[in-house]
Amino acid sequence: MEVDSIPQQTQERAAQIESADLVVGVLADLGQDGLMNLCEGLRALPGLPRIVILRRDSASNTAAANAQSAQQEDTSLSLLPWSAVGPDPLGAPLQSISIACQSLFAATGKLGARACCFVASEMESASPQWVCQMLGPLLESDFDFVAPYYAPRMFQGFLNSGIVYPLTRCLYGKRINNPFGPDVGVSRKLAQKILGMNRNANAGTNQSHPLASLAPVAVCENLQICQVHVGARLYPPTDWTNMSSLVAQVMGPIFLEMERSAACWQRTRGSVPVPARGERQPQSQETGTVDLNRMVETFRLGVRDLQEIWSLVLPPATLLELRKLSRLAPEQVKMPDELWARIVYDFALAHRLRTINRDHLLRSMTPLYLAWVVSYARELETAGATSVEQRIERLSLAYEAAKPYLIARWRWPDRFNP
Amino acid sequence: MWDQVKQALDQSTTKFLTGLAHQLPGMVALIVALLISFVLAWVLAIVVRRLLASIRFDERLNRWGFASIQEWSPMNSPTRLVSRTTACVVILAGFLIGIAAFDAESTSLLVRSVFAYVPNIVGAMLVLLVGSIIASFLARSVLIGAVNLNLQYARLLSLGVKWLVIVLAVAMALEHLKIAPGIVDLAFGILFGGIVLTLVLAVALNSKELVTKSLERDVKEPSGENIEEPFRHV
Repeated sequence: MEVDSIPQQTQERAAQIESADLVVGVLADLGQDGLMNLCEGLRALPGLPRIVILRRDSASNTAAANAQSAQQEDTSLSLLPWSAVGPDPLGAPLQSISIACQSLFAATGKLGARACCFVASEMESASPQWVCQMLGPLLESDFDFVAPYYAPRMFQGFLNSGIVYPLTRCLYGKRINNPFGPDVGVSRKLAQKILGMNRNANAGTNQSHPLASLAPVAVCENLQICQVHVGARLYPPTDWTNMSSLVAQVMGPIFLEMERSAACWQRTRGSVPVPARGERQPQSQETGTVDLNRMVETFRLGVRDLQEIWSLVLPPATLLELRKLSRLAPEQVKMPDELWARIVYDFALAHRLRTINRDHLLRSMTPLYLAWVVSYARELETAGATSVEQRIERLSLAYEAAKPYLIARWRWPDRFNP
Repeated sequence: MWDQVKQALDQSTTKFLTGLAHQLPGMVALIVALLISFVLAWVLAIVVRRLLASIRFDERLNRWGFASIQEWSPMNSPTRLVSRTTACVVILAGFLIGIAAFDAESTSLLVRSVFAYVPNIVGAMLVLLVGSIIASFLARSVLIGAVNLNLQYARLLSLGVKWLVIVLAVAMALEHLKIAPGIVDLAFGILFGGIVLTLVLAVALNSKELVTKSLERDVKEPSGENIEEPFRHV
């Protein structure tokens, strides 16, 4: 798996390089200038580490990249093409990221590098200096997992705010704001653990997403974790026709990881902050129109037509509350945090028990998620942008308060069977 | 004359009694086979019922999306349906064994043709089973997909897809059973076409409102002004 996941061309070039201190995988389109800036920033890192940059090889810029790589190569920095993710990761972005991540971890092991950094996003600030900031804790302080701390935005990163962050925080007891990255710094130790875990899981069908495994493995193995303020991330635009697929792609690996690390998270109570580095970025104002009615309509349609499926997953009390919510006027729809936390837990349990086909289960969660998004967005619209973090904190506390319910259902699913 | 009548009567009585005596072992064998099969069916039904109850077959079937089986099962229990079907099959097998013993010459043809038909029945049942699994999987996929796309006729679409697959599976099963193939072909064509036409009409009529809304939105939005939606999920 390790060797297979490194493209042939990269393997040949890597064989010439033999070893490196750092491997940086650049999946984001930084542009020629951005890449030049990144190279300069990396050259300025203390201790002059030998760095290998793997850069996504798209059809349009292959020639340019090769020319630049020839120009840029010196003893301390090498630029290699990286075709493991294919030229266009837009079709299934999370799958491409998963493949790229595995390839990066494999390259890190093969080159004997101390750490690696995965660059998958574009930031609001043009300078890719944040990459160097993420590498700092890996090289100087021996951290194993460096997570990004994106500047909070009111209407962006809903899946992270509503599920990924509060769920990870509640389960593993560490307040990692963006546990799923995608821009992460990883030590070789952690990268090898993730690769080894996936190699073992290869025999079955339970191979999880490397990014989803990072935070749980780092916490459960008592590795050093920190987060770095990296500024505001530019999120890819929403493809509303593909919403359920996105929910399934994000939630599937998280639930799989939850199943794998059940013994670890069942022992954890409460949560503690993790050290943060860098300067907090101010929140920028968001503009645009939001059609919340469409999401409310999808939720109502779900309550009307998906009852049969939800009744296999959710307890009657939850179904009753959802029915009540669906009867309210669109502007009054507000899903309580406690209800949302329990819904997420019930779906996690149904995923574990394989109550129904897993893909059906995850996709059927979409109308519920949209109902939560409506409540959350409406609340923030009236409360103002400054209250984003307070709002997420309140939601996280609701997740933590409902954890005994999850543990009870997880341990004795039959007793609580809806 | 009287002697001749008496002789004929004696002969016919002897012939009848001989014939009866000849058939008697077969009849006894039939009764014994039936009795044994009844006992065996009863025991097997209990074993199957307990086995299925221990693995919560009814619940599992419900989760796998076969809730409709419950509706037409005895006492609303698919477990009972399976156990009773098993018992019926055992009794039928016992009856066929008994019939074969009763009169080998006249009944062997019947038994042989019945047994020759068994693979067709098994094949048809398999086709129906696979068909219903595929139908319920596709129906659920379509329902979830359509709800997430905010289509008001999601349930109708899902039902349409389910019945398309079920009609196809039933037609294939009947074809396998060689029951009125001509009528089956015709009925299948009519039903399949009917369902497709219904779906097309339903989608088209429901889409009218959607298209109107979309056009209204286009008219309301000033051309060239591209308002970007700020929502980002991942």
